[in-house]
Amino acid sequence: MSYLPDGEEAAEPPLSRMLLVVVALVGIFVAGYLTLHRFGFIGSLQCGVVGGCETVQASAYAFFPPRTVTENGVSVALIGLMGYLTIFGVGLAGLQPRFVRSRAIAVALALLSGAGTVFSLWLTYVEAAILEAWCQWCVVSAVLITVIFLLSLPGLRSGGGAQPSPIR
Amino acid sequence: MARKPGKQQSKSLQPFYIILGAVAVVGAVVVLWQTRGGGSAAMDPVPVVISQEELSRVQGISIGRDDAPVVIYEFADFQCPGCGQFASFTSPLIKERLVETGRVRFVYYDFPLTQMHQHAFLASRAARCANDQERFWDYHDVLYGRQPTWSSMGNATGYFIDLAAELGLDEGEFSACLRSDRHQEEISRNMQLGQMLGVSGTPTLFINMKRLGGIPSFAELEQIVEAEMGGAPAEPAAAQP
Repeated sequence: MSYLPDGEEAAEPPLSRMLLVVVALVGIFVAGYLTLHRFGFIGSLQCGVVGGCETVQASAYAFFPPRTVTENGVSVALIGLMGYLTIFGVGLAGLQPRFVRSRAIAVALALLSGAGTVFSLWLTYVEAAILEAWCQWCVVSAVLITVIFLLSLPGLRSGGGAQPSPIR
Repeated sequence: MARKPGKQQSKSLQPFYIILGAVAVVGAVVVLWQTRGGGSAAMDPVPVVISQEELSRVQGISIGRDDAPVVIYEFADFQCPGCGQFASFTSPLIKERLVETGRVRFVYYDFPLTQMHQHAFLASRAARCANDQERFWDYHDVLYGRQPTWSSMGNATGYFIDLAAELGLDEGEFSACLRSDRHQEEISRNMQLGQMLGVSGTPTLFINMKRLGGIPSFAELEQIVEAEMGGAPAEPAAAQP
């Protein structure tokens, strides 16, 4: 039984998308670690001479919308975890034969990671200009989501980004 | 006969799934290790080299018997949220179960992280001004308890004076102290001592001049104290005076 719709060529899963899924999995663990910390499953973090993860995590900006605006914000770490889980799921689906050339998957990955990158850029601005403290895990997450966005771009050029492979 | 593309692709994805599985296992192990306090090795005390004479030249704020068998030194920053958590949840247990039983003397050293905490140095000076009126620990507790309030202020001087008044300290004396440069040099010496001892974050704890690699829970701390005492069993909390 073929996994492809009738009349479609088989396509090799693109390397960029495989890498995207692996990076998204790393992101799940980084955001998961920060979420566990936020909900008290991990003890307090030290305030470092360089870096200030605890300062960032304890700030009003650890929530979105920030607590300077409303008390009902959602934890930024949890938003990140949900985002990485979604990208991981969509990316994994996009590696399956049925979806490997899907334009919708390619666009969804670019939009999700693009939105994540913009959100991370704003959080990085908050760390630099408002809090004047750096959380190394947040910086790692910002780098990961940017890499995911860049890895999603080849998919936009050619549908799913897959190269058709002849059926031998 | 043409090969079935689905199966062909499943095969070509096999190495990818193996790598993905490996990343998942490594990630899960790292997160699990972190949730369990970074492992026992992270908490293992590392000896530091410093003589008692060098140490006695720098004044920390001490509580407990002078001849207690174990001394815990804490380097902390009043504006650090991690220190706030330690002060709120662990320090009261240390005082009740280790200090008041005579097993531990606890010494507080200032290590304000001035690069990131704008009021940390002023808060250290305020606490030392309270110490002049022999109310350091009360002021310590209230400073940490209200940390989220004053941390976000543009100028915390007035608030620190109000806290002193609330605790019943002599407001005029406290205000004069806080507005002077009294204790500035003392706190700077505390910071230099911390740097000499390899303090790179707060809170950092030393037990009998051995540096701990993380922030211990009270149970972990009690275990280390017992090991330092040669395995003496903990006295029941109910027996405390």
